[in-house]
Amino acid sequence: MSSLSLPIATDRLNLRTFERSDVEGLSAYHVLPSMQRYVFSRTRDKAEVAGALNIMRGHVSLQRPGDTLTLAMCRKGDHALIGHVSLHWSDATAGQGEVRFCINPSFAGQGYTREALGALFDLAFDHFRIHRLFARCDGRNHHSIKLMQQLGMRLEAHYREHALFQGEWDEELHFAILDREWQRSSKVKDLPPRHRVDAPAQHRVA
Amino acid sequence: MPLYPDYPLRTERLVLRPFTRGDVDAVFAYRRREDVARYLFDVELSREECALAVQQRINQVAFEKEGDKIILAVELARNGALIGEVSLIWRSVDARQAEAGWIFDPDYQGQGYATEAANAMLDLAFGPGDIHRVSARCDVRNDASWRLMERLGMRREAHFREHAIFKSRWDEEFIYAILWQEWQALRAEQKPK
Repeated sequence: MSSLSLPIATDRLNLRTFERSDVEGLSAYHVLPSMQRYVFSRTRDKAEVAGALNIMRGHVSLQRPGDTLTLAMCRKGDHALIGHVSLHWSDATAGQGEVRFCINPSFAGQGYTREALGALFDLAFDHFRIHRLFARCDGRNHHSIKLMQQLGMRLEAHYREHALFQGEWDEELHFAILDREWQRSSKVKDLPPRHRVDAPAQHRVA
Repeated sequence: MPLYPDYPLRTERLVLRPFTRGDVDAVFAYRRREDVARYLFDVELSREECALAVQQRINQVAFEKEGDKIILAVELARNGALIGEVSLIWRSVDARQAEAGWIFDPDYQGQGYATEAANAMLDLAFGPGDIHRVSARCDVRNDASWRLMERLGMRREAHFREHAIFKSRWDEEFIYAILWQEWQALRAEQKPK
């Protein structure tokens, strides 16, 4: 495996690891009740965000199963931190990975998360050789559901009242995609015309 | 809540009771078979391994703490023949979750015994066990097992593909579940008018 090259540039974003100075930008969305409703790490104030940031700053690569790579989504141009995506290597023998994502609601609805996840899927399948990626979300989280469907993920599980989450019965969805199902958008580059196999032309030469 | 059932449990044609040391040969008769082991985590068992499995089951008769299992031998009421086992695992105390399972001797298949025994386990879980949701899982190729889940009134909640390796091949798995309120509605419907 070649070494991981960061940051990753997409059309409108740079995906880079977190830095100490991201605490303001991360707090701007991570403490919001609409975000806290769905996340596992409770961060109600800036001190708790700093703690979460410390953990996320350590998520820089996947060396062994159990590791997580977390990438901040920074907008090109103004360098605004607008959210983050992460890839968790959950199982090595079966090549399983879990993706998670969060976006600041002020920047939602413009396809940024989809753009970042597209790059993360490429990285997972091509660089880390993951066989199957899955993502989980709350049954009421319609934005996440729509996003995963757009990415070509299949609904694999719909659990009802299988656990208690934040004091309520939980409803959880699992979406998944296999390496052979992922439609790599940018991997096939058009060859310049002169390199194309041009059967009629060859025929004329003969 | 802790559960200490009053054994044996009786259904129309079956008796569900804790395992005893005398059950080893009857268990070996089906656990040695390839067609029984195919979709279990275990491979075909030797007689010694069966003796060990039975030994473990003798004490798996109550729920006292999370992770406890109740595994019962299923025998025919008419002649005492041991035809398989049913099990219940206490997965979560807080969320009142349990997982059901079963292994039956194929020689007794097709007569509704597994359905009858598994229904008794659901009644145990949702009744005295105060469980909120019972789940069960199986390999997607194990038709007999998931069709049984559907007969029990369970819903298919998950269809995982290639999410793990099972016996050196990609695994494909179904998870079924039934909630307390669904079980209650089902039993009310089934009650003779």
